[in-house]
Formats: sequence, structure tokens, C-alpha cells
Amino acid sequence: MDEIDIESAINDVDIDNDEEVQLSLPEIIQLMEENWLNEKFSPEVLPNRMDIVELLLDQITTLENNLKKLSNADFKKGLYQMEVDRIRFLISSYLRKRLEKIETYSTVILEQEKSRVQQGSETYLSQNELEFAQEYDQSIREHFESIMRFCPGITETQLINPNLHTMVFLKSKEDIEGIVIDDGNDENDLIDLNKGSQVLISYKSVNNFVKSGNVHLI
Amino acid sequence: MDPDEVEFLGEKSLVEIVPTFNSAPIYFIGGDVGPFRASIPIRVPLWVAVNLKKQQQCKIIPPDWMDLEKLEFLKEEEKSNKSFVKMPSDHYMIEAKLILGCAADDIPKTDEIRTIIKDIWDIRMSKLRSSMDDMIKKSAMYAAVDNLTLMEINSIRPLLPHALDQIYRIKTNKKALSNRSQGTTSTLSESRTSFSSKT
Repeated sequence: MDEIDIESAINDVDIDNDEEVQLSLPEIIQLMEENWLNEKFSPEVLPNRMDIVELLLDQITTLENNLKKLSNADFKKGLYQMEVDRIRFLISSYLRKRLEKIETYSTVILEQEKSRVQQGSETYLSQNELEFAQEYDQSIREHFESIMRFCPGITETQLINPNLHTMVFLKSKEDIEGIVIDDGNDENDLIDLNKGSQVLISYKSVNNFVKSGNVHLI
Repeated sequence: MDPDEVEFLGEKSLVEIVPTFNSAPIYFIGGDVGPFRASIPIRVPLWVAVNLKKQQQCKIIPPDWMDLEKLEFLKEEEKSNKSFVKMPSDHYMIEAKLILGCAADDIPKTDEIRTIIKDIWDIRMSKLRSSMDDMIKKSAMYAAVDNLTLMEINSIRPLLPHALDQIYRIKTNKKALSNRSQGTTSTLSESRTSFSSKT
């Protein structure tokens, strides 16, 4: 009796854990593609999806290990290898894009991350990215300071901010109502998006939906 | 975005092939494909089809829409319609290019099909250019691009969003200036336009 109870208890726990989000691998690849495009087209750095990246990296490492056992004559080997390369491209392009943004906006991003930590909200950068950002910011500062010694009198500095108002193409994954369009005049229009509709719109109007995953950039 | 990257995304769409070999399923991370039975049609991702075709392992069955009559009809529709017609495939240009490129021997009337798809593309691009012109003249800050495919969107990406960004800058600066000097706001005509008819 006792044993059965324990077992069912364990099963219950398992089910609870599983309930979070169980995505199949094809769905995860789909999600990775969407996040890659989001990162590519959004002007600011987005919350990191290292969870998906690591999951996929695990998958391709195991697959590549298994591939070694496969004979070279097998035509399937080339196909497997090709898929691994496709996923690897996706991941590295995604990570590179993030690094590029971190390098461009390092100071602003670090400030934002600091305030996120203070507010107790989730940080956007992964641990590794944060370290990279700090080191990069530090060395660029030192560099400029040593250069500026030769040009006395210039003290004004200007932060490089991402242009959040840039126009982006997006595809909606859900029905969304009441998106405000800021057209630079005082009157603001409201629009509704239907599932599957594609629009060209200012990033500022939709950035929350991009982060929550209701829409994705294309 | 690089057109190759659009192609990368388009290569995931499924096409039907007739394999010339027998094989157990291939367990891809992105989903299982197979089992393959010689001369039994099967749906596989485009990149797999192209790879197998290059090794002479299969015949590619062209998608339904890759048919001269249907394309002729589509072209007429595209011509007579002011807005963009929905394309039979989200990646029609990529599918056409890859399939016609590697499996020309499997598809009847390849040259005619190639020409007509290019015609449709050209009609759509010229519509796109005039819509863009219209949008910039109205300095609109929103557009529905519902029936455009990714490749078409990508072709206007270097120009349109940047132009609109600049217009927005000019508008907001102008507003700030006039607020400062006279307290009047500039009103610049209509604020929205639509690339496709709303359904």
C-alpha cells in the first residue's frame, strides 16, 4: 500500500512539472526561428532565450555523437549533418546578433540591466552576455579616456540609444486589440490585429507583444 | 535580411517526392521523415528534397500551384486586382527557384512556368513600388502587408522602413520646433494607408 502511494505521489509531482510548457522539438525549432527573427529586427536587445538555445545545443551534440557511429556510405548521414548545420546556423546567428547589439549599446543595456535587477525583474542578458557587456564597456571606456587626453576641452558625451521608434514588419499570432499608432502628430490611431495578419508598424507600439510572444517580427 | 536567410526559412516548407529507394525513417530533430518506399510519394521538407534530388534519389512532384493554367489564372487575377492577391504558397519564389533549379526534368513546361512566375513577381513588385510611393507621400506610419510573402517584404526592407524612420524624425522635430516658436502643430495629411484591401 505504502509503496503504491509513494509511486502515485511521484507521478503527481511529475505531472505538475510537465504542466509548465511541454513543447515538441519541432515546435522548439519553430520558436527558435521566431526568436532569431525577433532579435534580428528589433532595435533593442530582447529577453534571452538561452533555455531554447541550450536545449537545441544538447540535441545537436547528442546527434553528432551518434553520427560518428553511422557509416559514411549511408546517405542519411549527409542529411543528418545538414540538419545539424541548419540548427547551428540558427543559433550562432542569433547569438551573434545579440552580441552585436550589446557592443553597440553596451552602456545603455548595462544601465537597463541594473535597474531590472533593482526592481527584481528578470534580466534580459544571460550571465555570459552580462560579463561580456561589462568587460566590453570597461575596455571601451578606458580606451576613450586615454584617447581623450589628447583632445582636451571635449567633455560632452552622448549615449548611443537604440531607436525604439524604428519601423518593423510583424506577423500576429493572436487577435490583439487597440494598438496605438504614433504617427508623429498629436492624433493617435488605434488598430486591431487579427491572427495571422501582417503589418508594418513602429516597434514602440508593439514591443510588449514581441516580448510576450503574441506577435513575431518578420 | 540576406535573401539566403529568407531561402533558409522557405526551405522548411514541405514538398512531395517519389523516392527511388527504400529506407527506414530519418529521425530529424525537427520531426521524423519517412519511412521511404520506392515509388510511393511522400512529403518531405524542401531542403531534404533538393538534397535527395541532387543525388538522383528521388523525383520531385511539383506543388499543385506550379501548373501553367493555375499560374495563368493567378497572373490575370494579380493584374486585374488593385491590391495584392494571396499567393498559393508563402514562399512561392523560393520553391519555384529551388524546384525548377534542381528538378527541371520532373516538371513539364519548365521555361513557361519560370517566365510566368517571374511575370507575377514583376507585377507584384511594381504594385509594391507604387504603394511605397503612396505611403511615403502620405507619410503614413502604418501599413497592412497581409498578402505579401517574406521575400517581397524583404526586398523593400532596406528602403521603406528607413525612409519612414526619417520622416518620423522630421515630423517630431518639426513639431517640437513649432511648439517652441508659435505653439501651433503641423498637421501632415492622412496618417494611414493600406497595402491590401481589408477583408
